[in-house]
Amino acid sequence: MRFSISATAELVAHPMTDPLILVIDDEPQIRRAVRNTLEPLVGRVLDAESGRNGVNLAASARPALIVLDLGLRDMDGGRVCREIRTWCNVPIIVLSARHSDSEKVALLDAGADDYVTKPFSPDELRARVRAQLRRAALVGSADASAVIEVDGLRIDLAARTVRREGDPIRLTPTEWDLLRALVSRAGRTLTHAQLFRAVWGSSNGDPQAYLRVHVANLRRKIERDAVRPRLIVTEPGVGYSFSSST
Amino acid sequence: MRRLLPERWWLWLVWGAALALNTVILLSLRGRLDKAHFALAYLLVVLVGSASGGQRLGLSLAVLAFFCFNFFLLPPYHTLFVAEPLDWLVLLAFLVTAAVAAHLLARARSEAAQAGALRELDRFKDTLLASVSHDLRTPLTTIKAVANAISQEGDDRARVIETEADRLNAFVGDLLDLSRIQGGVLPVQAELIAAEDLLGVAIRQVSASFGERELRTHLAGDASLLVGRFDFLHALRVLVNLLENAHKYSPLSEPIELSVNRTDWELLFEVADRGPGIAPAERERIWEPFYRPGDAPSGVDGTGLGLAIARRLAMAQNGSLQYQPRSGGGSVFVFYVPAASNDELDAISL
Repeated sequence: MRFSISATAELVAHPMTDPLILVIDDEPQIRRAVRNTLEPLVGRVLDAESGRNGVNLAASARPALIVLDLGLRDMDGGRVCREIRTWCNVPIIVLSARHSDSEKVALLDAGADDYVTKPFSPDELRARVRAQLRRAALVGSADASAVIEVDGLRIDLAARTVRREGDPIRLTPTEWDLLRALVSRAGRTLTHAQLFRAVWGSSNGDPQAYLRVHVANLRRKIERDAVRPRLIVTEPGVGYSFSSST
Repeated sequence: MRRLLPERWWLWLVWGAALALNTVILLSLRGRLDKAHFALAYLLVVLVGSASGGQRLGLSLAVLAFFCFNFFLLPPYHTLFVAEPLDWLVLLAFLVTAAVAAHLLARARSEAAQAGALRELDRFKDTLLASVSHDLRTPLTTIKAVANAISQEGDDRARVIETEADRLNAFVGDLLDLSRIQGGVLPVQAELIAAEDLLGVAIRQVSASFGERELRTHLAGDASLLVGRFDFLHALRVLVNLLENAHKYSPLSEPIELSVNRTDWELLFEVADRGPGIAPAERERIWEPFYRPGDAPSGVDGTGLGLAIARRLAMAQNGSLQYQPRSGGGSVFVFYVPAASNDELDAISL
């Protein structure tokens, strides 16, 4: 993969017009599969066969999104994430095998944005990539305002109010903190530990035992059907995410 | 040469010398020591020799010690004749003690070695499982992605490849899970969980395979009281397996009912279908791995591991899984888990 300095500069200037995706994976077949899956979606897909090269390419090519495999031989996936996070906020989607929920959690805590389980369906990977690109485009734009409207729900972060079709919904302080944490990072999976920190200020303690129950109570107030939730999505074994594209 | 001499023959030399030295020392103290002192000193040599050189060395030392004891230290000296009949008893007791001790030591050593080998085997199994799961999933991912790309171009056969890759993946997952559960290496993380949370994910996971099938849900009473203490992922697996079974074995026109109740101690998740039900003679066998009903409708595929895994997972989190015939025809599978206590429920509303 060769491209000139000027092309790089242009990518930085207009990341959305020609998004570049970086795939970090040491299995050539997976790299090819991911490339085939994502190429119709974006202009170009770069790949790196090791964590070290991936980190270097992330710095030099400034991709709009990174797909990172957990099973790298040369570097721990969490380290790749943390190194990239020291200088940029590019969305990172992790590929992992099913047996490693704890690994996924560690990676999300290390700054990854989302994960896809192997063997993944190409449609699912494309959908996740699209969602992350869209979310990244919104961040920093004037649209990231304090009022979110979704599925008949109007959440005003500044005024601390939630209304469904105009009717106010009463939330407890804990439920409000949970909702704010989820909404302000909509589209991202928040691990249980990240939610504890956002709501109770520390990642440990007695209240964490009740996190799941508080989420259930919040759902009962804001979802149309708490058994078939559309806004707060449970990511089994990992955490919760708020879906703003319902 | 190697066959004539025992392995580590030098150990035999060392311990033979130690025995001789012991005898010389005891000989010089013969007048001031008692028979019990002699016996104990020899026993010490036999035991330590046996510990370092094995059972055969231990037994040989015991016999040698027996003769030295008799020849040099029991009157009349320098004969194998024993004057005092009670001294025979001392000698015999010494010989038996030494032999038994050498034998026990050898057994303890071999058991320790076996335990070490078992631990090694266990570690090997874990690595094997992890690598099988990784090495099988990597090619499956590629197969799936390529098949998907081809099917986008309109080739229906590629869709079959994709479906079969999914099936293979599910089978690999089931086998790995069962072997983990059987091996007792399954971590269980019990947490307070609202029934709705579990139901929501289970419904989402089966929605693709259910398609047009109607799934009715019913929560008994106040939903905020339907809170249990169990492992989310394991319970999800149980519920999804039950729902998919119900879907596979009952006519598509009949809705499947999923309801949650609570007693003082337990939450009950019930999955009810209008399938053929299970004959009384088969009701215990359905929990065995690889069980498939004899009259399974054609086209029903599966590994035969779903219920076996589900029941073991239910039990691993202090719950249980039971079958009941459904009145009016069909089956009800009831999955029990411990309910949250009143104290825990009170703490939440604070």
